[in-house]
Amino acid sequence: MKSMKTMKKLFFLSLTTLFFISCSDDNDIQPDYVPDAFEKGILITNEGPFNNGSGTITYISEDYSTVAQNIYRTVNGVELGNIVQSMGFQDDNAYIVVSNSKKIMIANRYTFKSVDSITTGLVNPRYFLGAGGNKGYVTDWGDPNDNADDYLAVVDIRNNTILTTIPVAFGPERMVPYNNKIYVAHQGAYGQNNLISVINGTALESTITVGDASNSMVVSGNVLYVLCGGKPSYTGTETAGSLVKIDLSTGLVSETNTFGTTQHPSSLTMDGENLFYNLDGKIYKVNTTSISLPGTAIVDGFFYALEAKDGKLYATDAGDFASKGSLKIYDLSTNQEIQDFQTGIVPGGIYFNE
Amino acid sequence: MKQLSFHIIFVIFLCTASAYAQLDSIQRLPEVMLTDSKLIHFSKGFKLEKLNDSIIEKNAASLTETLRYNSSIYFKENGFGMVSSPSFRGTNAAQTAVIWNGVNINSVFTGQTDFNTISPLNYNEIAIRSGGGGVQFGSGAVGGSVHLNNSYSFKKIDSTKIGLCFGSFSTLGGNASTTQTWGDHYLNVGLDFISSENDYEYVGKNKTNNHGQFLRFAAKVNEARKLKRGVATWNSEYTYNDRNFSGSLNTIGKDAYNDIATRNLWQLQQNAGIFNTKVSVAHLFEQYKYFPNSEKPLYTGGKANTFIGTFQSEVFLYRKLRIHGKVEYTFVDAEGDNVGNHSRKTLAAVFLLNHKISEKFNYGINLRKEFLNDFDNPFLFSADAKWNVSKNYALRLNGSKNYRVPTFNDLYWYAGGNVDLQPETSYQVELGQEFSIGNLKADVAAYYISSEDLIKWIPGNGGIWQPENIHSTRNYGVEAVLGYFVKFGNLQSLDFNANYSYTKAEDLQKEKQLIYVPFHKAAGTLEYNFNSFSAYFQGLFNGEAFTTTDNSDRVETYTIFNLGAEYRLPCIPKITFGGRLKNVFNVYYENVAYRPMPSRNIEIFLNFNI
Repeated sequence: MKSMKTMKKLFFLSLTTLFFISCSDDNDIQPDYVPDAFEKGILITNEGPFNNGSGTITYISEDYSTVAQNIYRTVNGVELGNIVQSMGFQDDNAYIVVSNSKKIMIANRYTFKSVDSITTGLVNPRYFLGAGGNKGYVTDWGDPNDNADDYLAVVDIRNNTILTTIPVAFGPERMVPYNNKIYVAHQGAYGQNNLISVINGTALESTITVGDASNSMVVSGNVLYVLCGGKPSYTGTETAGSLVKIDLSTGLVSETNTFGTTQHPSSLTMDGENLFYNLDGKIYKVNTTSISLPGTAIVDGFFYALEAKDGKLYATDAGDFASKGSLKIYDLSTNQEIQDFQTGIVPGGIYFNE
Repeated sequence: MKQLSFHIIFVIFLCTASAYAQLDSIQRLPEVMLTDSKLIHFSKGFKLEKLNDSIIEKNAASLTETLRYNSSIYFKENGFGMVSSPSFRGTNAAQTAVIWNGVNINSVFTGQTDFNTISPLNYNEIAIRSGGGGVQFGSGAVGGSVHLNNSYSFKKIDSTKIGLCFGSFSTLGGNASTTQTWGDHYLNVGLDFISSENDYEYVGKNKTNNHGQFLRFAAKVNEARKLKRGVATWNSEYTYNDRNFSGSLNTIGKDAYNDIATRNLWQLQQNAGIFNTKVSVAHLFEQYKYFPNSEKPLYTGGKANTFIGTFQSEVFLYRKLRIHGKVEYTFVDAEGDNVGNHSRKTLAAVFLLNHKISEKFNYGINLRKEFLNDFDNPFLFSADAKWNVSKNYALRLNGSKNYRVPTFNDLYWYAGGNVDLQPETSYQVELGQEFSIGNLKADVAAYYISSEDLIKWIPGNGGIWQPENIHSTRNYGVEAVLGYFVKFGNLQSLDFNANYSYTKAEDLQKEKQLIYVPFHKAAGTLEYNFNSFSAYFQGLFNGEAFTTTDNSDRVETYTIFNLGAEYRLPCIPKITFGGRLKNVFNVYYENVAYRPMPSRNIEIFLNFNI
């Protein structure tokens, strides 16, 4: 069985990379292996067990020789909190968004020494984007059962307080910056939404209508690619997923490519001129010079997060969401797996320190 | 400290020993009758433990607490008074059936009973039947079943009890009941409530449980009337629970839960020749409201009505052979914001046989077949035997096939419910030994359970979680129960009860221990009585339990102790007062990860017996 094999392999890996001792134990914190700094490497945010536990951050060095689990706690002696949703960066700092604990933990991105935290003004924070000019943006669902209280919090990163909030349509999620504006995808929280909000400074400038459940975005040149999952079948009004191209110089949709009605893609990422995403247990590759969906299937597997970078594809497997997950690294020239590392529970975000 | 306290319990366990109350005790009192007599007659080869009043009263805050100290069942409790689901012999939360006067009351929606919504003081008897009871008690009696029984009697009774209890964390409890008989009538009416601010400290964490307030209210009416050739009975119960849900170590609680249940059972029992027949009708109502934010009126909810009509007939031939036939029709109609409106009909035919070959040996065969279902309900069977080898030693053996039907949440939940689910099935065998030497009683049981097609919610396509019949497990273990009672002169006595269990519950795909199943659990109570005074010392050892399916994280081993004392004033009406000190050494412990249980606390009580 595949899972057995994986388990054994993970077990072996865990022994060889010294972090086996790091299994969490409140009363008895074991000293993990701490490199001088977490420079040059991969950072994984692990959401942690859904209801009853803490999320963690895993570090894997660029040369793959060092793996450290739970680095924030190792350095600071305290846990991050429940559901480590994502991480954003500004200058030397990492802004770790802990959604269920309603806070952002701020640490130096290279040492992970705690710097500060934002614990007021957040209800259900999702993502942080450092936007320069002393500003950071946080998407926040508010009460997810209330579609009218969603907002973007604007953070003054000099003192880490919330300057103001910008009310937006429900379910704001990921953000990308372009030309001093912030583009916010509204996946739709517990439901589905079909908007991109355009934020200028502290004001909502406009919205762009895209497909249902816009779940991920990448910017390339002056083009914004938005991957929309479509409405799933259980809604009773299933809609197809779509890949939407927005011309950022005009703010208009320039091209919409549609998937099959029952196809619901996720996790768009880009390397060179190729887009990559998840669909039905496979990772697909699409060439942006002539988009044809679904593209070419290159890897089999259900992955929770994807990032493509410099000829490699990084993919996390959350397994049963109740045990430690893994990060797999593929060489995009051969589409072969070249590395497999154990992570924390529910690895949901992949980031890079350079 | 941990090690030391474990040893204390262990030493007590080995050296001393209870009023390990077998159900035999009520058989010695034939004038008291149970509304569910099958439990006694057709469970002879099964382990059946009865908890008497003095045991229950020591841990009466909730049924969770009662059973935590007096059985091998592990409870996943999300903080004191919050949602509490059982793991009986390592089985899952929907594999413990709760049987109220013979009627299975597990929720239509979750397939479970939240043991914190039930007051242990509302019944004449709480019995724990270990092992498969699917034939007699239907879906969910896999690990075992917990029986809440109201009995009746036509001898002269005029008894009224009033109890008051005050405790730490602004806890206030009250209980009043009266039992009266006149002529051919029996009437028992009672009320019970507990409310608590529940704002205990998280020991050593510098935090407080500030969103765990709860209120539980229950009322009961039990009535029986002797007829010319039989008895008519009515059992009725109402429960109301209103709770804020506690947060965890790193989250702030904000949700709340409100539930109501009513249960009614009418039975008419008639003797006709050698036949003892019983016609019964039951109605169960359950309703819940879940508030994502306790400060806002917005909620999602559900309600379900269950109607059960039963005809059963029993013959007892040559004082040796007891045969029982039952036909039961169940209609469930449920409606919920997350499941829509659905109904279920089931027709079950049950055949039970117990044959006493001699004073020493008897055996039983039980069969159940269900019809009319949307899925293929398996044919269930069980066989049991008991051999009284000598006055001091008896052997029990049983084997059974059991099942758990998919719940309405499993089938219809929006989004993810899977209407193609089939019942979970489970096979098990158990060998038990009973020792009885003077006042020392012991019971040692070993069991093996193999379960397949277990329903598990797994992440599917597009990130939606869906239940599937994909999981299989193997559970085996050993349980020991010990009881010792000794009198010193006329005034003094010592009473000791203890239980220990070793549970191995294995996920067969992952070859790992199932989450929230501790390998070791032990509990014991030592009680000293001197005339009208009594005091007790109680300990619980709970071994570590894994919280992740790869066994990488765990809730830690803990050992806690409780102390209590009471004095009965020699006057009329009888007044008893006393106090209990719980978690004497102020130990931090949790049964679910990051969900701390209470710090050291006290309660005082005052009981009137009129």
